[in-house]
Amino acid sequence: MSTRTFLSDVLAVMTNEFRLLRRNRTAIIISLVILPIFFTGSLGGASGGTGQRFTPTAHLAIAYVDNDLTIASRRLLDTLSSSGDFNNLVQGYSEESAIETLGTKKIYAAIIVPKGFEDNLAKNQQVSLVVYEDDSINGLGSQVVSSLQTSLRNFSPRAETGPLLAKGSSQVEIIQKGTKFSSFNIGLTIILALVIVFATFYEVAGGMSRESEEGTYARLLMSPISLGAVILGKTTYDLALNIIRTFMVFGLAFYAYGARPSTDFGTILAVSLLIALLTMGFGFVISAIGIGVRAVIIIEFFLVLFLFAFSGFIIDRELLRGISSTISYLLPWAYGIEILKRTILIGQPLLTQTSPLGFIVASIAVFYGTAYVLLKLSRERLVT
Amino acid sequence: MNRFARDTTTVTVKELKQLLRDPLSLALTIMFPILLIQLFVVIVTAFSAPSYNIAVVVSDLDGSSTSKSLVDKLTSSRLIKVTQFFQTEEQALHAVESGAATGAVIIPKGFGDALLGNRPAFVILQTDNSKITSSTLVQSAVSSSTQSLLELVSARLGAAPVEVILRPISGRPPTGDTFLPGMLGMITILGAFDDIVNAITRERERGTFPRLVLTPTSILSIYSGKISATVVLNAARTTLMLVIFMLTGLVVRGNVLLVYLTTTLIAVFTMSLGLLLSTKIHSSSTLTILEITITFPLFQLAGAVQAPELLASGGRAIAAMLPWTYGNDALRRVIYLGVGFDAIALDFVVLLLSSLVLLPVATLLSKRTM
Repeated sequence: MSTRTFLSDVLAVMTNEFRLLRRNRTAIIISLVILPIFFTGSLGGASGGTGQRFTPTAHLAIAYVDNDLTIASRRLLDTLSSSGDFNNLVQGYSEESAIETLGTKKIYAAIIVPKGFEDNLAKNQQVSLVVYEDDSINGLGSQVVSSLQTSLRNFSPRAETGPLLAKGSSQVEIIQKGTKFSSFNIGLTIILALVIVFATFYEVAGGMSRESEEGTYARLLMSPISLGAVILGKTTYDLALNIIRTFMVFGLAFYAYGARPSTDFGTILAVSLLIALLTMGFGFVISAIGIGVRAVIIIEFFLVLFLFAFSGFIIDRELLRGISSTISYLLPWAYGIEILKRTILIGQPLLTQTSPLGFIVASIAVFYGTAYVLLKLSRERLVT
Repeated sequence: MNRFARDTTTVTVKELKQLLRDPLSLALTIMFPILLIQLFVVIVTAFSAPSYNIAVVVSDLDGSSTSKSLVDKLTSSRLIKVTQFFQTEEQALHAVESGAATGAVIIPKGFGDALLGNRPAFVILQTDNSKITSSTLVQSAVSSSTQSLLELVSARLGAAPVEVILRPISGRPPTGDTFLPGMLGMITILGAFDDIVNAITRERERGTFPRLVLTPTSILSIYSGKISATVVLNAARTTLMLVIFMLTGLVVRGNVLLVYLTTTLIAVFTMSLGLLLSTKIHSSSTLTILEITITFPLFQLAGAVQAPELLASGGRAIAAMLPWTYGNDALRRVIYLGVGFDAIALDFVVLLLSSLVLLPVATLLSKRTM
């Protein structure tokens, strides 16, 4: 077969895919609009944009119960109020009434300053602030404690003394280096990978399974078009969709939420397409097994759950142990997500990440090779 | 009325029989909770491991006995593992930049003298912040090592003068089970969505739905029968989750019946929304994909993982508009705080009203598409 015929077959398959997509408005809306907007929007809604300083405790009503009523306890209140982390401190509660009110959503936590707070500080003895939390609010306690500890670094019990930090709580300052970025940027890498894997797998595996169920796939295999042209045509079509999706996610993140990645868009697009190719290869393998659309959806759900647990979305791979660690190191998407993080977050050039890059390319080759062999076998079965 | 009840029961029994005959769907109904809990177990296990051995390199440019003490503290940390020592700062920083280590601690020259002379001292910590959890753990390890060193160098400096003690009002120990009520909420939503795919769109695809509609059974009886089947399945899923809760040691402080009632209301609302969507989306696979598309952002926005109160303003506004948020809130309050019906009545009202609005609209639209 000449190259020209092959390319024209690829073009024909690709055009057919676009025609099918155009006829299905719901699929276009879900795949190219709802999916990127829902995912990126939920991230922005949860963590705020990159430009704004967002502290989850800032707006929450938190009782400040001062059992000491001294200059030091008053200064602590001022320190907390001006920190930006506690903008809604409520006074006037006794310890008992604050504890009673917790759980009613009038207040979410209560900071109790004990009697003898100032005296003990003056004697350089340890004092304890007690935080009561409404623990039906997930994650509240750790947020309040973390914000409180940060504010305490700037707290000085009296005007003439410096902050406690300088006085002795830690005379060793830790100068932190390393690229800083917002939690939105961290979430963005996850969302981008998730949107790509989620949509691509369904488009490839789901699309081919649907064609199998409708009987059009058998007709396609029996046509003079080569198997390579079918695979390449579908791949090219899906790569085009992924370019649009990457633009959608990044456009929204960039313009609506002020995301500023540490690398250029070309690199992000290249990594996105690598992850898409990997997912497409896997999708071809799954569809070559000859399963139905419902089974494809179940596999997709499992795949996304696996990515959440084992690919560094939530927990770094280094922290996983035993079988979880093994799965993580065998999961090719984990390498894609690692590259995405290292490029978007810390700006490491793509080509310097040779090991994960090599693993992904090898995985793509293995997936496509396996899919080709399986599809060829199913074609031969159809012929005979 | 009698006829309505009879028709509803007939459709409910038919739905349950159909599910029992479909092993894949039946397995899926049971697998959802187990799989999600498994995911939770993996996450919690990773966060509560006794040691992590995160690779950290050290460059001790001081070489004093004090700096050696700090290196000892770092070496004995359960969070990190000192994998290499470097002579220069550049070598240590390069190890992090190249990905060979997650952190590099550089102890500058004069560190020991400054500390013993009661002058401010510093160490440099470079972390690979693309590894989000690991870099935080490295920072924590270095911070506690320096604190420990300070205690050693001077008893006067001691530990942090202001300690913060956290006390949950429920009295529960601060364990990793904070996701479980949210998981129950999400399983309820996913399960109900899956039921609607089974109940309507697959019937449409098989062509049995028009036949069902053409029987003397009213469309409202058909819908209420399908909802009743979901309520039965939901009770089974909730029971399974409560057993898992028990096995993981989570104590349900409130009335268990309130937990059932809450998940039932979440399921009925989800089902009502699903019925509405199914009037416009006739393909089961498209509806399933839409379901998953909606579900993952819901983990974030409807309070399944993190309470909506801790979201940014935009997220809080969206969360307030989602009836599921109220369901998850009720679940957390019943399970953790043991509150009674009156404390979560508003949550129930929101869920009930939302269902009552959606269901007639779905019925009307469904009639139009016949």
